[in-house]
Amino acid sequence: MPREAEPSLNERQFVLQALQDSIRLDGRELDQYRPLELTFGDQYGVADVTLGKTRVLAKASAELTVPYADRPLDGIFNIATELSPMTSPAFEVNRPTETEVLISRLLEKTVRRSGALDTESLCLVAGQKCWSIRVDVHVLSHDGNLIDAACFAVVAALRHFRKPDTSMEGGVLTVYTPAEREPVPLSWLHSPFCVTWSFFGEEGDIALLDATWMEEQVRSGSCTISLNKHGEICQIAKLGGVPVEAVSLLQCTNVALIKAKDMSSKLDKWLAEDAKRRDKGGLLAELSAENDRVPDI
Amino acid sequence: MPLDTSTYGLALLRVDGRRWNELRRIYAQIRTQAAADGSSYLEMGHTKVMCVVTGPSEPGPRRGAGISSAGGAGGGGGGAGGQSKDAEVVVNIVIAGFSSVDRKRRGRSDKRTLEMQSTLANTLAATLHTHLFPHSQITISLHVLSQDGSLLAALINAATLACVDAGIPMTDYVTACTAGSTSTYAANDEGADPLLDLNHQEEQELPGLTVATLGESDRVVALVCESRVQISRLEGMLAVGVDGCKQVREILDQVIKAQGQKMILEGTVDKGTGLNDMDLD
Amino acid sequence: MDARPRHLHPPHTTAITSSLAGITTRTNKLISVRPLRARYTPEVGDLVVGRILEVQAKRWRVDVGSVQLAALPLSAINLPGGILRKRTETDELQIRTFFAEGDLLVAEVQQLFGDGAAVLHTRSLKYGKLRNGVFVAVSGMGGGGGVVRSRRQVWTMEGANNAGKMDVILGVNGYVWISKHVETPKEVEQKHMGITNLEENVSATVYSSQNDAIDGDTMREIARLRGVVTALVENGCRVDEDMVVRGYQEAVEMAMLSESGQEDIYLGGERGEQLAAALRGN
Repeated sequence: MPREAEPSLNERQFVLQALQDSIRLDGRELDQYRPLELTFGDQYGVADVTLGKTRVLAKASAELTVPYADRPLDGIFNIATELSPMTSPAFEVNRPTETEVLISRLLEKTVRRSGALDTESLCLVAGQKCWSIRVDVHVLSHDGNLIDAACFAVVAALRHFRKPDTSMEGGVLTVYTPAEREPVPLSWLHSPFCVTWSFFGEEGDIALLDATWMEEQVRSGSCTISLNKHGEICQIAKLGGVPVEAVSLLQCTNVALIKAKDMSSKLDKWLAEDAKRRDKGGLLAELSAENDRVPDI
Repeated sequence: MPLDTSTYGLALLRVDGRRWNELRRIYAQIRTQAAADGSSYLEMGHTKVMCVVTGPSEPGPRRGAGISSAGGAGGGGGGAGGQSKDAEVVVNIVIAGFSSVDRKRRGRSDKRTLEMQSTLANTLAATLHTHLFPHSQITISLHVLSQDGSLLAALINAATLACVDAGIPMTDYVTACTAGSTSTYAANDEGADPLLDLNHQEEQELPGLTVATLGESDRVVALVCESRVQISRLEGMLAVGVDGCKQVREILDQVIKAQGQKMILEGTVDKGTGLNDMDLD
Repeated sequence: MDARPRHLHPPHTTAITSSLAGITTRTNKLISVRPLRARYTPEVGDLVVGRILEVQAKRWRVDVGSVQLAALPLSAINLPGGILRKRTETDELQIRTFFAEGDLLVAEVQQLFGDGAAVLHTRSLKYGKLRNGVFVAVSGMGGGGGVVRSRRQVWTMEGANNAGKMDVILGVNGYVWISKHVETPKEVEQKHMGITNLEENVSATVYSSQNDAIDGDTMREIARLRGVVTALVENGCRVDEDMVVRGYQEAVEMAMLSESGQEDIYLGGERGEQLAAALRGN
């Protein structure tokens, strides 16, 4: 496995000394995110998120399967994370690195275990038929803070996704194609977002948001907090690293809530814009026999 | 909901009869394995774990079958064996198939186990003086014999004890415990009490977190929360958890001191001179 | 991924805090802590027993129970055919004929590298390959019982019950070698030969991997001695010449009193405790 070269001692010191004076290499404030951009694909359920130079693509898809024997009333919901050699030669195909495992665990805890998606609504016939929803997360470019970007992409993809409409009549299950019936959105309960703090210095007293890859390499610890806009914590993960005062962790959580609310409203806005864009064409408009009215002048 | 929180409201007693701020019984031993560099056994209620520390020793692929050293870590490694200037902390967790009720065997590639391994390695690396052992590796093997909640906390405590036993210099004890809240995430009642040291049943039903702190300070090394909880609950839970960690530290400290005193009495080591008591960590 | 800073001291305190659990010793203003247990820390001049783990081009890598493997350069051993012979390429090529992987040897720490790794040498007839005996690993210098640095680490003792002489080597690193006494070249020389044959004799036996014939009585007493060493460690006693010699005598007496007589060499469990108690009582 080709190892990524680590930054030299001088580089480290430069970054750290600048941070002591609250200066980041890209001129951001400590609690400022890089520009967050979201593009939806032509299909439903494709979200392409860029956060500075970090770029993550998430695609949601659905298929009909049999529910798990021990959970006959629940549908299946999975998140698959892929860190390919395309991102960095240090990542190998088919062998999950520690980073990959940690990211997929975090996404799983944030989105799946917090009950963001109502899995019971995915069940069609108890014990026999259900939807299996899978989100594939592909990291296209890695410049730090993969977790926040990936989580945003997953939530965006799932909220954008439409699954084919179904109906049950006399024990017969019918799945309609998009041409027959407009696909329906998933039953979505709340939108959690990850906010990752990075800690620097021996005392861990410098904390900043949205670290770049360089900053991640020289940081001495990190803490990922997942919240939704209602102020509910879905997950906190400070997996070791530099010890941080309990009080400052609480402050970090409060700032994280503001950031999560911010992300939440951004996503709502983008979803609304996309819906408007799609609505203009749309199946109904196509089937309409009416001519466009020329407005009266 | 099998854990009826309404009874808690009446008697202020939990399912196992504890009050909100009581730890379960902690029983710990060090030097359980004579052949290991450091070892420990720890019980937190019915959660039982064993830990063995090997090293610091030179890593590298084990070459030549049948070669074994007392340290256990054989192998070459060569002159440039270690890549880093610091010792590497490697953690292996084996969860016994019989440790929980459902007797399910977890594979080695189980993501939850991998995450715990990574958490432990990063937690210990932050407090062990790894820079004293260049090019070497500290291997920490943990076996979970029985699970009844607070597993991660028990693992951290056992690993700390075993590292002390192995004579690896460290900044201070890293101790951990769990804390929870009697409110479910749906209920927004203000009267919810925080709870200390959750057992399995409470862990399933109530929101909770695992917190690990460094020594007697309020400094949090690891904080893991896996359940949905109102942000306003966090402060109370964290405060109770940090306080619990201090209690755990006292207990672990006594275990180490008792072992030291035993060794002096047996004449294994000479008594110190010049200072009256033993300074530990 | 994370860079790890050093927290060498608990923050916000000026009190002196130990980073180890151990025994504090104060010498004037110097306070030192000896850990209750730790790996062996090599020091120049230590007599160690080690095991070859790896053979490299011009040196061996030796496990001495320390944090790092020790190095034994080819130039630091006695080459056959004369102590002061120059090292040749042929020697490099047949490096495995001197020591191969798994071989045990006794050596002295010659110097230390900057990172604490030891360099060994065997340039004395006292040192070299070990044969005709058994290896026991106990904890060594570093703390917490086991072998301690003492005046004599190597001695020869008489075996009881018709056994021959036995050599005991207590490596400072906690590795112990107990073997049948082999007459040193000096003794051999006094008995039989002149100085001229000495070197040939050295080359013939020093790097041999063949054990000599050992009679059953000696083997039994070697096993008993090994039992004494492990019993001492199990019961938290230090391992030095005095304890081992007295422990051996005690074990011989205990065996005499037992049912199966001198054949009884079991010293585990209660009998080990009994042995340790007897030694402490003296």
